[in-house]
Amino acid sequence: MSGTRLRHPVAAALAVAGYVIMIVPIGFVVATAFTAGSTLRFPPEGLSLTWFGEAVAYSPFMEAVVSSLELAALATALALVLGVPVTLAVHRGRIPGRGLLEGLFLSPLVVPELVVGLALYQQLMIGLHLDNFTTLLLGHTALLLPYAVRVTGASLALADPALEEAARGLGASPVRAFFTVTLPMLRPGLVSAGLLGFVTSFNNVPLSLLLQTRDFRTLPVTMLDYVQQSYDPMVAAASTLVLAATVVVAVVAERTVGFAKIFGGINR
Amino acid sequence: MEPVPSNERRLVRARSTLLLLLPGLAFLLVGFLLPAVAMLFAPPGVTFAQVIERMGAMLTDPYDLGIVWRTVRIGLVVTAVCVLLGFPIASLLARSRSRWAGVLLALAIFPLLLSNVVRTFGWLVVLGSNGVIGQLLTGLGLVEKAPQLLYTELAIVLGLVQLFLPLAVITCYSAVAQVDPGLEEAARGLGASRTRTFWSILVPLSLPGVVVAATLVFAGSVTAYTTPYLLGGSSQRMLSTQLFSYASVTVDWAAASATAVVMTVLVFLVSGISALVGRKGAVS
Repeated sequence: MSGTRLRHPVAAALAVAGYVIMIVPIGFVVATAFTAGSTLRFPPEGLSLTWFGEAVAYSPFMEAVVSSLELAALATALALVLGVPVTLAVHRGRIPGRGLLEGLFLSPLVVPELVVGLALYQQLMIGLHLDNFTTLLLGHTALLLPYAVRVTGASLALADPALEEAARGLGASPVRAFFTVTLPMLRPGLVSAGLLGFVTSFNNVPLSLLLQTRDFRTLPVTMLDYVQQSYDPMVAAASTLVLAATVVVAVVAERTVGFAKIFGGINR
Repeated sequence: MEPVPSNERRLVRARSTLLLLLPGLAFLLVGFLLPAVAMLFAPPGVTFAQVIERMGAMLTDPYDLGIVWRTVRIGLVVTAVCVLLGFPIASLLARSRSRWAGVLLALAIFPLLLSNVVRTFGWLVVLGSNGVIGQLLTGLGLVEKAPQLLYTELAIVLGLVQLFLPLAVITCYSAVAQVDPGLEEAARGLGASRTRTFWSILVPLSLPGVVVAATLVFAGSVTAYTTPYLLGGSSQRMLSTQLFSYASVTVDWAAASATAVVMTVLVFLVSGISALVGRKGAVS
């Protein structure tokens, strides 16, 4: 058909407007991060890397980076370790109410995260006196379980159960059959779920918002609080660093499983 | 090897299935389900009756009701704009044979990986008092004084559209990609104009996907926190920012729980309606 020829001008104009809204504000964050002045404004007053130095030297940010990385890595690992067995049980086990069970594990996606955060704050931190790291870890793991179950489930649905049966028929134990046959077939799903889970946990605000303490704070919430107090370009510099790290993650995602596939999995 | 009696095998199988499920189930219960239910029935020092009473008060009090209405209004506007901008992007990309289409698709998906906080900060630079738009308007002599753009509903809408447009694009994209391009070619071959083909082939056939996109965007918009917090401030409260204020500033547990219930019911209601619409669409 029309190939690369420009389609209807109205459609093209709307598409351009969409891209402007999605991308341009991010560009302004980057531009203001390189300012030599002391306010968040565009155009920047002179060029310098001062604010990057400030951001890296600012200990609340750096401590929060470490906390957020730690939390995201642990929650992602836990969600995969707990989620893969669930996927196996749902897809390979003969159990009644399979759909209901899968729905149960997807349910954290349906309830607003801020509401879950409130519930965990009230019931676990105040009610049961759990420390905030444990509460955050529990909450983030529950939040990532749907990703682990659904994305690895999509991989498992593509894997031929006959291969596992063949391994079992040749005398492999169920555990051995899992590790040598099933797990390698799940790899794309595990990588997708892992990347998606890690990024989701690292960037999370609504669930983590009420679960902050002075000892353990996550990065996005720390950045939000900082903006509320002082309106200087340091936060733009920190944002630009987060952006750079995200680009690296995106490139890794593209090289391993393909970018579009990762997000295709969660909507189907 | 002795053949295992089938009853026993079934039992072993059931037991191992249960073993696979239990750890995940335990985490789900402790990290999500039990606290969520307990929040409704037993917030600290508050009874269920008080939560219900506070909910009733919320739905009659003009201030609280104003927040509910603002949340719904913003959710609807953002959903409409995201579909209006997202569907054209998705259909152009899905039907393009240009090699730039892949790059543009990646550019639309990339923001989904990027922190909402980082994405929202951009609007402070664009809309702030020293912001790009204000400077542009005063610089061109169009206005004397830069208009107040930050801390308005418009700012929240812009921020939320930026946040949820990628979601609308990829959801519409997979819907459009599932429509056989041969149908559009056939319509064009039979003399239908490009516009007519778009409206009577592509739009109806990808409608279920568009409904899903709209639902995801609406649910995301009415529960988002970062955007109304940064761009709406305390003058343009939404349910989410109000909930946070009840929970951590005034520490009014009954009000916090009541707000949480209203927010959750709103999301469930819209998801339920969209599931019904989707099913009806699939039948007819």
